[in-house]
Amino acid sequence: MKLLPWDLSVIPQKFFLFADAAGYTLQITFFGIILGLVVGLLVALGRIGRNPVLSGLCRGYIFLIRGTPLLVQLFIVYYGLTTVVTIDPIPSAVIALGVHNGAYIAEIFRGAIQSIHYGQMEAARSLGMSGSKAMVRIILPQAFKRAVPSLGNQLIIALKDSSLASTIAVPELMLKGRQMGSSTFMYMEMFLIVGIWYLIMTSLLSFVMHRIERKLKVSDRG
Amino acid sequence: MDNQTVTQNDPKEFDPRTEPILRIEHLSKWYGDLQVLKHIDLEVMQGEVVVIIGASGSGKSTLLRCINFLEKAKAGKIHIEGKRIRNQEKQLNKVRQELGMVFQQFNLFPHMTVAGNVMEGLVHVKGMPKARARERAEELLAKVGLEEKADVYPAMLSGGQKQRVAIARALAMEPKIMLFDEPTSALDPELVGEVLNVMTSLAKDGMTMVVVTHEMWFAKEVADRVVFMDDGVILEEGPPEKMFEAPEQERTKEFLRQILRS
Ligand SMILES: Nc1ncnc2c1ncn2[C@@H]1O[C@H](COP(=O)(O)OP(=O)(O)O)[C@@H](O)[C@H]1O
Ligand SMILES: [Mg+2]
Repeated sequence: MKLLPWDLSVIPQKFFLFADAAGYTLQITFFGIILGLVVGLLVALGRIGRNPVLSGLCRGYIFLIRGTPLLVQLFIVYYGLTTVVTIDPIPSAVIALGVHNGAYIAEIFRGAIQSIHYGQMEAARSLGMSGSKAMVRIILPQAFKRAVPSLGNQLIIALKDSSLASTIAVPELMLKGRQMGSSTFMYMEMFLIVGIWYLIMTSLLSFVMHRIERKLKVSDRG
Repeated sequence: MDNQTVTQNDPKEFDPRTEPILRIEHLSKWYGDLQVLKHIDLEVMQGEVVVIIGASGSGKSTLLRCINFLEKAKAGKIHIEGKRIRNQEKQLNKVRQELGMVFQQFNLFPHMTVAGNVMEGLVHVKGMPKARARERAEELLAKVGLEEKADVYPAMLSGGQKQRVAIARALAMEPKIMLFDEPTSALDPELVGEVLNVMTSLAKDGMTMVVVTHEMWFAKEVADRVVFMDDGVILEEGPPEKMFEAPEQERTKEFLRQILRS
């Protein structure tokens, strides 16, 4: 006699069959976020900078990326570019995640940089520091610290968004769930496994982010 | 050709006995339509302590900020040691090393320790090796009475201690002139003395100083000259005795009455 129409005992049995797929999820998220951080920093600096053309380009990039779905961006990279260049599924996913998160991270960095009191830049300049050196030595370290909570948030969003890579045949968690579901007809069980894997990873990430935040607070308490 | 004559006639050779170390000519500054500085002329001799007083909004901060080009004046000239300072980033980065600046809000770097703050310019502007910069920072911190705070972060310090660190940080660059913009205005009254004491001893050591302050005690005891600014102009200037006991302008009298009453 069954209380539920599903066989939940399958969950612990099959759980670790998803480990490789989770590895792919982590991998595309990790490299996507790294690319996003680089893109985000450059775009934030470009947008804040005094060059109006560059600033306009950065604004346009943020506008386009934030105004369109990640899935569209992913398909443009994977399918759309094939007439020019063919990119494999995993690099396509990393590029799309990087370009997508880059726009959000740029805005996070911009906000953080602009939240640093102008007196910091003035104090640095009054020591004879160049503007770019003051940015690197004085402003960015403080801005990074202030950006950490939002970056952590973005990292978790990126991890979940990486599930879209299943649509271009990256063998990550979501695709694994679909394959396992269709071969066993136990969709509920398989997608619960997928959900649990995501939950574990996002929980671990937010735990780590909290630890980092605490560590960075050192200079605030002295 | 006689070498002696060449040196004497060289316009770049600066003689501190006859020439001001800082000469400001006809400086004018606008914010939008508002003219904040109106044809300011000011000369400061080496070793001189000039105190600038004046009501809030009269342009004192703007004048100091124009001197080290944190603000760019629209018209006028600034000469340091007889050399005209031009608005070119490269030259300005050099010039700013020669002008120490102390801000009302301290503006210490919160992500660096006290010693790190003092070393920052030495290591990353002057290119001094870290170990030597550390020694130098410790000397300077001893000078402002904070050697035991070298390894704490600014957040741990009182306002007075922060300002003394800021002074040490500026001194590290071995400036020729120190500019102070209301260095004690953000401090609790009981902490004002420790900062003014450091400034007084700096003045005694012969540092050239331009100080915006409302501490009339400092102006009377330490200043060689007091400058009264009003609405973007220097209305009156003179030795402290004259300025405090026999000011000529009605506006000066009025300002002093107000400030001395409070
Ligand atoms: N960044 C700025 N933008 C516009 N107006 C400014 C700015 N800074 C100062 N001012 C104006 O310039 C005038 C002089 O200011 P300031 O030099 O700070 O005076 P003080 O230091 O004597 O109080 C004031 O009227 C002030 O409102
Ligand atoms: Mg002021």
